[in-house]
Amino acid sequence: MEIAVCVKPVPDPDTRLRASPDQRTLDPEGVKYVLAGYDESAVEQGLLLREQIPGSAVRAFAFGPAPRAPEILRSCLALGCDSATHVAANEPVDDPLVVAAALGTVLGSRPADLILVGKQALDDEEGLVAPALGALLDRPSFSSVTDLRWSPDRARFSFRRSTEVEVERWEAPPPLVLGLQQAWNDPRTAKLPNVLKARRMPIESVPAAPGAAAGRSVPLRFDLPAPRAGARMIEYSTPAEAAERLVRILREEAKVFP
Amino acid sequence: MTPAILVIGELREDKPTDASREAAGVARRLVGDAPVMGLLIGSPVEPAAAGWCRDGVDTVRWLAEPPAGGRLAGALVPSLLALLSEGSIELVLLPSTGFGRELAGALAARWDAGAATGVTAITRTAEGWEVRRPVFGGRATETRILSGPRAVVALRPRSFPAPEPREAPAAAAVQAVVAPGPWAAGPTRIGSEPVVSGGGPALGDAPIVVAGGRGVGSSDQFRLIEELAGALDAAVGASRAVTDAGWRPASLQVGQTGRTVTPQLYIAVGISGAIQHVVGMIGSRVIVAINSDPSAPIFKVADYGIVGDLLQIVPALTAEIRRVRGR
Repeated sequence: MEIAVCVKPVPDPDTRLRASPDQRTLDPEGVKYVLAGYDESAVEQGLLLREQIPGSAVRAFAFGPAPRAPEILRSCLALGCDSATHVAANEPVDDPLVVAAALGTVLGSRPADLILVGKQALDDEEGLVAPALGALLDRPSFSSVTDLRWSPDRARFSFRRSTEVEVERWEAPPPLVLGLQQAWNDPRTAKLPNVLKARRMPIESVPAAPGAAAGRSVPLRFDLPAPRAGARMIEYSTPAEAAERLVRILREEAKVFP
Repeated sequence: MTPAILVIGELREDKPTDASREAAGVARRLVGDAPVMGLLIGSPVEPAAAGWCRDGVDTVRWLAEPPAGGRLAGALVPSLLALLSEGSIELVLLPSTGFGRELAGALAARWDAGAATGVTAITRTAEGWEVRRPVFGGRATETRILSGPRAVVALRPRSFPAPEPREAPAAAAVQAVVAPGPWAAGPTRIGSEPVVSGGGPALGDAPIVVAGGRGVGSSDQFRLIEELAGALDAAVGASRAVTDAGWRPASLQVGQTGRTVTPQLYIAVGISGAIQHVVGMIGSRVIVAINSDPSAPIFKVADYGIVGDLLQIVPALTAEIRRVRGR
């Protein structure tokens, strides 16, 4: 089975957020871009399926500029992906539909049975790439997917999709595009020998197709909230008094409670 | 010229969801007296359509779910595209639910539109639709311009006021059902279970969430959290420590590897406030923390704090809420 995993370079989750000098975006100065969040689960799930299905390959794809995109592809190789393809852009692009179009052009000529994507990126949290890829490639797409299994006898995947009110159970034959919420396991970490080996593995580079849609979604401002003052602590002498004071504040001051 | 807007709504128990009603209200505010087309996904129910018209839409159409019996965004797109060209629509508004985001991505890709999800404010400017949205788990907010001729904007539930009911025009009748286009045979919904929610409302869209962490101490003592939630008609949430320990199912987990929630009120009990948890709840309007450790980081993000033994504070709070609510 051919499994494609699309990953996005995102700021390290511990990054201290700062606005760029023109106040339009996150200041990329000194930011380390990594493989993180739901994308890690997508890679993990691809590798787990490969272990289960003989003759499978997991191929990683990342869109974006160098060095950040090739760097996270190195992480994918160190984790065990069979190949890595950099869909090269000259500039960072933060419009998910442009990203989906560029990835879709490359994936369209390399049919995969399963395309895995994190259900949303850790930075912009749009969640648009998986459904957009499905629509562009004319394949069914689902997001918020957990518990993805392959049933060889029936040649179908089974999985769950979380909605706000229920967890749906689905079955579907390949090809599919899935936005993953969780793999069976916590994502593995790369072992040092594999990290060293990955440094010598080739990363294919293909230019991103010129996107007709670029410039349609333009960042204007990046605002950080005023630092929180910290909680107003409720003084009390008995638990009942603490409860009474809190409820009064929530009703009369915060007005969150009928 | 005033742009034409299509609002896509979701139904629950034969009524438009609150988020769908908010979207209708936003559309009405954006276009003034110009027409707003509404589209509900599901089987036609006349009272639902009439109610939604009072919220702000002028006409209501229905889009049947695909035969697979579940929501498949891609399968709905062909009919949507037909409707959009017929109505000369420039903006599609829909709730930023899980399914709304899937539909936004699939539709925008095929309609060649700009798109944004999780939007908490939208205005029309000379350059296009200006949208605001929280990013980085609520640690920052970005403002973008969607400048193309077409845009799809998914609105974050409970970030907009419930619409004031208006006199629905007489023309507001249920219009033709749009049939979903053909879809390659394949995905089948084989069942579903309600989200395990400790008996209260679902975590995903509850206005109040009471969440417990490691400090609650044990699976047995976690019942105190559920009793407080019950008194408040709130959803129950948990930190990862609780779900990893198996005290409660993973579906209740709030945080980086669980759900992101944005209720009006979030009460964090015995939760230290690690960043992995905080990113899942920082968008809440009011945050209350109850913890025995006065230096717990949760007090830095909370609006109100109580330091004390949660085994005493939580039952007292439950009792006080029952008292003021008269039950």
